[in-house]
Amino acid sequence: MKWGVRHMSVYKHIYRAYDGKVTPVWTRVFVLARYGFEEAWSSKITIGLFTICFLPFVFFLIGIYLANNPLARALTGFRGPQVLTINAEYFLTLIEVQSWFALPLASWIAPRLISFDLSDNALPILLSHPISRFGYVLGKFIALFTSLSFVTWVPCLLLFTYQSYSSPLPWFAANFQIAVGLLIGELIWIAFLSILGLAISSWVKWRVMATGAIFAATYVPAGVGGIVTAVLRTKWGYLLNIPFMMTTLWHRLVGVPESIRGDHSLPTAAIAATLVMACLICAAMLNARIRAREVVRG
Amino acid sequence: MGIIDLNGLEVRLGGRIVLDGLTGSLQGHAIGLLGPNGAGKSTLINTMLGFHPPSKGTASVFGLDSQRDKAQVRSGIGYMPENDSYIGNMSGVRFVRYMAELAGLPAGEALERAHEALFYVGLGEVRYRRVNTYSLGMKQLIKLAQALAQGPKLLILDEPTNGLDPMARQRMIQLIKEIREQGSARLLISSHLLRDIDETCDEALILKDGRIAALCNIEEERRSNRSFMELETVGATEKFSVSIRGLGCECACFPGGRIKLVIPDNVEVRDLYVIASEQGVQIRRMNRRRDSLEDIFLRAMDNEMGRAAHVSL
Repeated sequence: MKWGVRHMSVYKHIYRAYDGKVTPVWTRVFVLARYGFEEAWSSKITIGLFTICFLPFVFFLIGIYLANNPLARALTGFRGPQVLTINAEYFLTLIEVQSWFALPLASWIAPRLISFDLSDNALPILLSHPISRFGYVLGKFIALFTSLSFVTWVPCLLLFTYQSYSSPLPWFAANFQIAVGLLIGELIWIAFLSILGLAISSWVKWRVMATGAIFAATYVPAGVGGIVTAVLRTKWGYLLNIPFMMTTLWHRLVGVPESIRGDHSLPTAAIAATLVMACLICAAMLNARIRAREVVRG
Repeated sequence: MGIIDLNGLEVRLGGRIVLDGLTGSLQGHAIGLLGPNGAGKSTLINTMLGFHPPSKGTASVFGLDSQRDKAQVRSGIGYMPENDSYIGNMSGVRFVRYMAELAGLPAGEALERAHEALFYVGLGEVRYRRVNTYSLGMKQLIKLAQALAQGPKLLILDEPTNGLDPMARQRMIQLIKEIREQGSARLLISSHLLRDIDETCDEALILKDGRIAALCNIEEERRSNRSFMELETVGATEKFSVSIRGLGCECACFPGGRIKLVIPDNVEVRDLYVIASEQGVQIRRMNRRRDSLEDIFLRAMDNEMGRAAHVSL
């Protein structure tokens, strides 16, 4: 039994130092991630949003099943493969739907990860442990990124795997780029969403307000970008339009031709640079906020 | 090597010098950190925790540089901040366990120690309640519990009795004394309450305007043979004072027959009464007191130069 001299005692009420095993410093990030994850999923609203996020998954799963099962298609009245063709466009629709369903989930979870620590001034205690500001943000990021993974690239790849399994072998080989595009496209999106969510949550005191602010940060610049595009007659205003940029990126990654005019198409490098810039701004916002709150002033 | 070694430590915040060339070695079991508001107490603590990089000099804890070996230094420190600092929507035991895991305890050990620490500080019965439902005193205690749970080598307590009622304060002081006597953790206690430091510490570092105003061993001061006395007399006060000087006392006379004197070890109070009787002097009032931390503190504050000094009386 572990009761040794190094232990205190509940019933004796005495203090003893701890001289047992200590975990490696690098693993402390995962302690933060685990507690953040538990915090995020302790809310019934999180469970509700998560469930809603799986409705499209189920819908698309049924679609793949019907597309690959002539008997089921006949029974349900679908008329031939042209109605349900499982191709890059099918998965593009999937990635778009899952990605936009992930936005409310991120907007709900991100403030829960940061706001509780800030509102109760927990940072001085948290960061007095062997964990850096970067480690703290990374821990929270992992919690949010993992939560969003469950509703984005994981179901997308599961459906791709199911389609590959249901179809004759050449389908997988011919469409492997779709899987890569799904994975990369969703990873970029949820990484961006995670850092944006954490940055905004760190600056907005009330959780509900923070949730609204994350939506606003996604869509308000899009409106501004639209105005810039219309007034200045330039395509570069789209660089403020996150939904447009991501949709363009997903098209290219999955391999579906874009539907907009060629002169309005943004270079991939410009999209990547804008996303990196946005992430750096978010990181700077987080750093400034946490640095200001990590010590007790006075 | 002391517990805390300061070597010309200078810290600038916003271009202003907050700590100015602190040099000293703190070796006591319980070190009191004293000073008026803005003296740099919290900055010194934050520097030791690695939050503020020194602009000059170094601060070492257990021989480890507070900046270079930040993670190792923090691993050995349990920190109880001055202000409210907790995660309100967590239960007490979950919060303490979380902090213990961050300090490096495996999950199982952390849970075990969290329960023990909460019982130790007297929060055992409320450990499953959310922290934001705790009273102010309970919040102070849970901050102490989270600092203790990891079993630190150095326990830094910033204003531990802040906002506590007399009973809770006494309980906190008692806990600190017990931890000190147990001896496995060194203590650094920052407080503006001299009484708290006087009761719990054996060494005091007094800061003023970011400089060391005094660094003294309270125990040694207590053991010193200085004994102060105030007398209120009626009669030939001058002649009386000359006579008691003859006994080896240092004394000063004030209007109204008041005399302040320091009596050496070999002089008894009875001797004063004998002389007074011989000279027909009436001793109306006699206050005897030992030199207190308050005197040390006030002298340090009066030191206009603000230079570091090992206080001698």
